[in-house]
Amino acid sequence: MSVATQDDLSGGQKRRLPLTLIVGLILVGLHVAIAALTLFWTPYGPNDMAGMRLEAPSFAHWAGTDRLGRDLFTHIMIGSRIAIQVGAGAVAIGALIGVSLGILAAFATRTLDDALAATFDILIAFPTLLLAMLVVAASDGASLSSAIIALGVAISAIVARLTRILAKRVLEMDYITAARTSGTSWLQIVFIHLLPNIWPTLMVNFALQFGLAVIAEASLSYLGLGAPPPNASWGRLLQEAQGTVYTAPFGAVAPGIALVILVIGVNLLADGLRDYADPTRGRR
Amino acid sequence: MPYITAVSRLHHALTGAVAVLAVSAAMASSAAAQQAGPDAIINIGSLYEPQNLDNTAGAGQGVSEAFNGNVYEALFRLADSGEVEPVLSESYEASEDGLTYTFKLREGVTFHSGDPLTAADVKFSIERVMAPESKSSRRNSLSTIANIETPDDKTVVITLKQRSISLPYNLSYVWIVNDAAKELTSSADGTGPYRLENWRRGTSLTLTPSDNYWGEAPRNGGVVFTYFTEATAQNNALLTGAIDIIPSVQSPDSLAMFEGNPQFTVTEGVSTTKELLAYNDRVEPFSNVKVRKALARAIDKKRLLASIWGEHGTLIGSFVPPTDPWYVDLTGVDAYDPDSARQLLEEAGLKDGFSFSLDTPNYDPHPLVAQFIQNELGKIGVKVDINLITSNEWYTKIYQAQDFQATLQEHVNHRDIVFYGNPNFYWGYDNPQVVELIASAEASATVDEQVEKLTEANKIIAEDAASNWLYLYPQIVVSSAKVSGYPVNGLNSQFFAYTIEKSR
Repeated sequence: MSVATQDDLSGGQKRRLPLTLIVGLILVGLHVAIAALTLFWTPYGPNDMAGMRLEAPSFAHWAGTDRLGRDLFTHIMIGSRIAIQVGAGAVAIGALIGVSLGILAAFATRTLDDALAATFDILIAFPTLLLAMLVVAASDGASLSSAIIALGVAISAIVARLTRILAKRVLEMDYITAARTSGTSWLQIVFIHLLPNIWPTLMVNFALQFGLAVIAEASLSYLGLGAPPPNASWGRLLQEAQGTVYTAPFGAVAPGIALVILVIGVNLLADGLRDYADPTRGRR
Repeated sequence: MPYITAVSRLHHALTGAVAVLAVSAAMASSAAAQQAGPDAIINIGSLYEPQNLDNTAGAGQGVSEAFNGNVYEALFRLADSGEVEPVLSESYEASEDGLTYTFKLREGVTFHSGDPLTAADVKFSIERVMAPESKSSRRNSLSTIANIETPDDKTVVITLKQRSISLPYNLSYVWIVNDAAKELTSSADGTGPYRLENWRRGTSLTLTPSDNYWGEAPRNGGVVFTYFTEATAQNNALLTGAIDIIPSVQSPDSLAMFEGNPQFTVTEGVSTTKELLAYNDRVEPFSNVKVRKALARAIDKKRLLASIWGEHGTLIGSFVPPTDPWYVDLTGVDAYDPDSARQLLEEAGLKDGFSFSLDTPNYDPHPLVAQFIQNELGKIGVKVDINLITSNEWYTKIYQAQDFQATLQEHVNHRDIVFYGNPNFYWGYDNPQVVELIASAEASATVDEQVEKLTEANKIIAEDAASNWLYLYPQIVVSSAKVSGYPVNGLNSQFFAYTIEKSR
C-alpha cells in the first residue's frame, strides 16, 4: 500500500514508517477504540441474561452466549478494556520503579550497584507468572489491582536491569564527564542527557512487557487469581468456556482470538518502534 | 520473534491440564493391554482427591468415594438403594426402652494387616469419630452414645443417653479401623475387600484386592482412582480409554460427547447433592428471616438450574431431597417473586438494599452460580461481592472458623437435615423448635414418628428460609460400555467398586 510506494521512493530524506509499526498501530488501535467504546456503550449490559444457554454466534449475539445466556461479544469487548488497563497499569508501575532503580544503580557506588544488580537478577530468575502469583497470594484476595501491582513488580525488575545497563553505557561517554566537571547536577544529567538517549530502547521494551503483562493477566485469571467475576477478563472467559468447549467451541475461540490480536499487535508495534528508532537495523 | 514466545506461554497455561491427561493416558494404556475379565483393573476418574485418608480429619468427599465399603467397612452399610444393610454386625438387639444395643460381630474378619477384628476395634473406631478433635460431620449424630462396652471379643454393647432410632444408620458412617493402626491420614487398615496399595498425591490412589477378605472377592483385579482437577481432562481420559468410569459427571456439556455413542453408557441415578447459598445466620442482616426469605424469592432457580444443568437436575424447596423419607414438595414456599422480595426487604428496614461478601469455592459450578446470584440480587438492590476461595480455605475459614457472611457449597450427604438441628454448625441456624424436633425425632420409638417429626422440621426450615437451597444435582455416571455392575445413585458420594466387571 502506501508503504510499498514509499519503499520505491526510498533514499529520500524522510524516515519512512515501518510496515510492522503501521500494522501494530492498527491492531492495538482497534483494541483501544473498543476499550474506550465500552466506557459508554456495549451491545448488551455485561450482566444481561439476554439470550438462552450457550447460543451459537448469530446476528443478535456475534460471539454467541455463555451458560447464563449473557452476550459473549460484550464480555470480550469489556475484556479488551481490562487487558489494556492491566497492560498499561503494569507497565506504568514497572517503568516507574524499574527506571528509577536502574538509574540509581547506574549512579550508585560499587557496593550498592552490585547489590541492586543482584536483586534484579534474582527477581528476573523468578518466572513472571510465579512472582505475580506470590504477590496475589500475599495480598488480601485476588483483584484486578492486585494483579496489576503483581505484574508491575515483576516487570520492574526487567526494566531496571535494562535501564542500568543502558544508563551505564551512556554515563561513560565523554560529554557526560564534561557535563559533570562543569558542575551540572546529576538530576540535570538524568533528564537532559541520559533519558533522551535511552528512551527509544526503553519504549520498545515497554511495548514488549505490555504484551507479556496481558498474557500473564489472562493466565492469572485463568487460574482464578486475576480479576474476580464478574470482571470479564479474557483469561476467565477462556476458563469458563473450557467446560463447554465441545458443545460451544466459539466461547473459547473468540476470547482467544481477541487476546492473540492484541498481543501480536503490541509485539509488532514494539518491532516497528525499534526499527523506527534505529533505521539502520530495520532497513531491508 | 517475541510474540511467538508470548503466545506459547499462554499455550502452556492452557495445555497444563492436557499434559496431565497425556501422562495418565500413557499409564493406563499400558495396564489396559492385558485387561478384561476378573483380573481387569478398573480405572475410575474422579475430580475429588481426598485431602487426607482419614474421614475424621476433614478428608472431604473423595475419601468416602474411594474408601467407603471398598477399604473400610462399617457395622452397617448404606446400600446404593438407600437401604441400611448389616456388614460387620452379624446381628443386633435393641432393649425394650431402646437405650441398649447389643451387636454381635461377624466371625472370621481380619484387617488387611492380619489383625483379627475384635470388639475393642469397634469401640476404638466409634470413639474416634466421637472424639472432640474429630472433624467428622456426623460426630454430633453419635452424641447420644453414653457408653460402649465390650463384654467379649465379638460383642459390643452400646448404651444411649436417649433413644436413637437411626443408630444403625449413623453407624454406617463409622469406619471400623484397626485400633493398632497408626498414621491413618496417609495409610489405611480396614476390613474391606480392597487394601490400599498406594496413594500418589495429586495423581492417583490404587486399591488391590485383599487376600484375607471375609466376604465374596471383588469381581475385578483392582481399582485405580485417577484424580483430575478439571472436567475436560477427565472427559477426554474417558474418550481415549485412559479411564473406564466417571462416577459423577459435573456438567451437562460433557454428556454430549457420550450420549448416543454405543461405546459408552450414560446412567442417570438419584443424587443427594444439593447446591446451597448458605448464609451465616448468626450475623446481620441474615439473622433476619425476612431478609433470608427475600433473597430466596429474588433468585429464579429454575433458570439457574437450566443454565448450569440444561435439562437435568431437580428443584428443591428445602434441604431434603425426594429420596429422604421426610421429603415434601416445598418449592412453593418462597417461589420466585422479585416484587415480594423487594417488599420483604423494605419490611426488614433495608429499603435501599445492602451488600455482602459471597465466599465462593473456585471450582465449577460455584463461580458461575455466584455470578447468577449477583445478577439476580442486584435487581432487588442487594450488592454481592464475589470472593473466590479454594476448598481448603472453605474448610478453615467457613467450616471451622465460621468467619463469613455467605457462601456457596454443595452438600453431598444423605439424610443431612440433622445439620439444621445443630446450632453450632457452620451456618449457625438456631431455631429451638427445630433443634427440639430433630432431637426428639431421633428419640422416636417408631420410624413413623421419626418421619412425622422430621417432616415438620423440614417445613419449618423451609418457612424460615434457613439457607437458600438452589437445586439438587443430577447423578450421572458415564462409563465405557465394557464395564458394568457399578452403583448408579452415589448416595453420600460412595462408589462401591467390588461389583464392577470389565468385559472384552
